[in-house]
Amino acid sequence: MVPGAVTAQGWARLVVLLSATAILQVAVLDGIVIGGAHPDAFLALAIASGLVGGAQRGALVAFLAGLVADLFVITPFGLTSLCFVLVAFTAGVASGLSGGRAPYSFKVVTAAIGGVAATLLYSLAASLIGQPDLARHELAAVALVVAAGCAVLVLPYGAAISWALGAEASGERRLSAATGGRATR
Amino acid sequence: MAVTRRNTSQRLTLLILVLASITAITLDYRGQSSHAFDAVRNGARDVLSPVQRLLSDALRPVGDFFSGDVNYGGAVSENAHLESELGALRRQALENATAEQQLQEILSEQHLPYVQNIPEVLATVITGATSNFELTFEINRGTSSGVGTGMPVVAGAGLVGTVLSAGSSTAVVELITDPRSSFSVRLGSKGAVAVATGQGGSSPLTLSGVTANMAPRVGETVYTSGTSGASLPAGIPVGTVATVHYVGGSLTKSVLVMPFAQLQQLGYVSVLQWFPAP
Repeated sequence: MVPGAVTAQGWARLVVLLSATAILQVAVLDGIVIGGAHPDAFLALAIASGLVGGAQRGALVAFLAGLVADLFVITPFGLTSLCFVLVAFTAGVASGLSGGRAPYSFKVVTAAIGGVAATLLYSLAASLIGQPDLARHELAAVALVVAAGCAVLVLPYGAAISWALGAEASGERRLSAATGGRATR
Repeated sequence: MAVTRRNTSQRLTLLILVLASITAITLDYRGQSSHAFDAVRNGARDVLSPVQRLLSDALRPVGDFFSGDVNYGGAVSENAHLESELGALRRQALENATAEQQLQEILSEQHLPYVQNIPEVLATVITGATSNFELTFEINRGTSSGVGTGMPVVAGAGLVGTVLSAGSSTAVVELITDPRSSFSVRLGSKGAVAVATGQGGSSPLTLSGVTANMAPRVGETVYTSGTSGASLPAGIPVGTVATVHYVGGSLTKSVLVMPFAQLQQLGYVSVLQWFPAP
């Protein structure tokens, strides 16, 4: 199998997973507003896909998750997917460097850091294309809530991604571990 | 060798995905493609709307709990409904206070639309914004109910926002506090015209164009101006002047306006079936 490839069954499962994430986000998480912000299930999915599926497949799933997320916002189409791709790819590289089989604590911490990074990256990218800025305290609140949400959701989403991508999900990660992380650098 | 090929493949994938994202952003910003994206977005919202409503109703207590609303469920719903009714009455009273004067001084002379004559569509707020970077919410009425893009939305005692996009059964409303929101207002019933702009979060609106010779008073009511080419009809109460600052040497005054409507606790809203002038 080509490294990073997703099988037909994997694509079908990804569609199911993305649909379920969309429903979870718009019907549940959008209503859980803490400090003016709410958790982001799409981002948690993107980071989990990087951690479980590796940099390449993670970036691909993150791109799709970002496109679906962009359906429900008013900011320019593609902005979310751009940020998700970069964060998921980095998470995949980090997962490879950790030795292939990262402990739960590593995934949770990486997800939290990824949540903060994605929020800041999104804010910066939005600002660059002329979207209005958030006040600093609001941005901090968003980053905090999103990071906490990602930390909570990354493990269930890791399991869901493993199911969606099947047995080959960890292939890229194992190869990375075998080469001492060089494969994802 | 295999590792090098793999690295190249990864980087190529990353590059393609980044370029695809940037292309999508560019297409959405420029050209006719933005209409296509809007259509896809409205379609996606319409498809998800039934499931969304069902789950929102069923799971709203969970969200309310996490949001700190202890008395969730029926009490919240009933409270929102009563608040909406009370607010509508207060808005009516505020509108009545200036109606005669406006009719005589503005409408008859300038043929401006008046908010009391505009039919309304009552709508329920389904959910808030999916993005943490925008102040919008979704309502359960769309084009099939006569809701269209650009229509003003009111709740409580005043203006809430405008319809940003409308699908067949749902619509997205942009709050007046969103930094993208900007509209013409009048200080008092026949006061000076200024431009109100959102500042995000729960921050008050800021007024620009208030020159040093104007004399806005704290507590003064601010209405939509409805001047020629305005995006909103005249006479919708917006809020009250909260602070007025004058910096010595400056040509303008810094004025903040606190909205009448409780924008953080919206349950029901009314969409005014008024289209901005083309």
